[in-house]
Amino acid sequence: MLTITLLTFKEVIRRRIILVTSFLALVFLALFGTGVHYGYKEMAGHVGPLETMFTQQFLALGLYFGSFIVAFLAIMAVVGAVSGEIESGTIYAIVPRPLKRSAIILGKLLGYGLMLCAFAALFYIAVILIIRFNTGLSVPVQPAALGLFCLQPLILLAVSLFGTTFLSTLANGIAAFMLYAIGVIGGMMEQIGHLANSEVLIQIGIVSSLVMPADAIYRKIVYSLMATPGISTASMLGPFGSMSEPSAWMLLYTGLYILCFLALAVKIFSKKDL
Amino acid sequence: MIIETNNLTKMYGNKVGCREICLSLGEGQIFGFLGPNGAGKSTLVKMLVGLLFPTSGTAKILGRPLGDLEARRKTGFLPENFRYQDWLTGEELLTFHASLYGLGAQDKKRRIPAVLEQVGLSGKERQKVGTYSKGMQQRIGLACALLPDPELVFLDEPTSALDPLGRREVRQIILDLRRRGKTVFLNSHLLSEVEMICDQVAIIHKGRIISTGVLGEMLSGSVEVELQVEARTPQMLSELAALSRKIAADGSHIRLSLNDRQDVGALAGIVVKNGGRLFGLKVGQGSLEDLFIDLIREGGGNQC
Repeated sequence: MLTITLLTFKEVIRRRIILVTSFLALVFLALFGTGVHYGYKEMAGHVGPLETMFTQQFLALGLYFGSFIVAFLAIMAVVGAVSGEIESGTIYAIVPRPLKRSAIILGKLLGYGLMLCAFAALFYIAVILIIRFNTGLSVPVQPAALGLFCLQPLILLAVSLFGTTFLSTLANGIAAFMLYAIGVIGGMMEQIGHLANSEVLIQIGIVSSLVMPADAIYRKIVYSLMATPGISTASMLGPFGSMSEPSAWMLLYTGLYILCFLALAVKIFSKKDL
Repeated sequence: MIIETNNLTKMYGNKVGCREICLSLGEGQIFGFLGPNGAGKSTLVKMLVGLLFPTSGTAKILGRPLGDLEARRKTGFLPENFRYQDWLTGEELLTFHASLYGLGAQDKKRRIPAVLEQVGLSGKERQKVGTYSKGMQQRIGLACALLPDPELVFLDEPTSALDPLGRREVRQIILDLRRRGKTVFLNSHLLSEVEMICDQVAIIHKGRIISTGVLGEMLSGSVEVELQVEARTPQMLSELAALSRKIAADGSHIRLSLNDRQDVGALAGIVVKNGGRLFGLKVGQGSLEDLFIDLIREGGGNQC
């Protein structure tokens, strides 16, 4: 299994997946940092809760689009993990070797999972530091929120790994992006539902977070980062905020969701004719 | 037995991949597996190496059931549509496959240069596989298959991308494996190559094995005779045809295939009796190509 993990690491480095993503992430962070710097400077006249709210808007913006980038990396890197190797033929020399097929899937999971977690953690810390240095807002790194930020790409990793065992690379990519979009749009509708007091929109949001829980995890991060005793300013951030904190049950559900997709990926690949 | 299959069958829905394959292959042999395109050759190889799951039937590799990891540790496989991670160097690719085989650091140090030398890629191991020619990629694939010094090697069209010199070198590698008591399962379209090196062959057609046996015995059953005759008559041809499996006449030349070498003597008698003049009679053994074409035309099949 570790042999496959090491090969996966080598692949993301040699095929310049990490290089390109890191470069674009740096461009994003530079743009974000510049925006925060000048935006905050312009708002220097404002004091009190309004200033805090603006600063938190910046934080939410950074984390929201950071989630996007990490999600895209997860999907693009993993979408052809098995199907791509079947299409290119490289898998035919690996499967007959003395290792279980489950070890191939789990090795790839570990390789991509560690890479995505490292990337997500660095991105999260960079966003927090940009906010801290430019605004002076004391946002703690919060290990729990950091862990949740790393959990987001793992959800997409599990889904994409499942899809790549039986779909073509292109079909799997489309399916994973659509699923992610359902979660994002559902999450926004839920926030609008809270603002408009629409039970239907809230229910749509809940169902969509069951279909794809990545957005619910983002809402939990935002809520926990911006919670102050008595009141959470996260509720004031509109579609990027979080009117209510997703429960611990949602985290349990997400864990089972990941395990379920991974178990299915292993099961399908273990019985697949190549 | 190194390979033993019993009614091994693979169906793709209603379509036959291969059906009721029964093979027994002993140690230290080169086994040629032949058949036209789409006959089921690759399907059988893929089942034996664990890429496909049989629909029914059983098989044992090195005395163990299909999929057994211990048997795979002693089995090498070069796939037909070879393609390797082109972003790795040749050495890294071999190190990766050595790790998959569970070789330790010392074994890797010993085996990697040895197989590079064996396939003629010494000095090229630092190059990326993506920069290799097709022939070099086939060689590095063969090197991967030979890494664990396997007891059994499956080679699916091992010389398809090689030039004549490369083919000769690979033939030499295969013969060397046999000399060291290894068993080689050779899947090839190149009948002349199979004829040169194989001990046993099986011919598959429409998913069924239609003939199998020791190559020498299979070929000795067919005697090719070429007659040079003047003043041939229809009656003469009819009598010659009655003795032969196949006959073709072109001008003064008559080519025929006999099932029994004993019938050669009678041929001259038939020519003379029918008023013909015999200027030449050449007897030879049938080629694998002739046998292959005859069997494919006849179809048929055998069972366990």
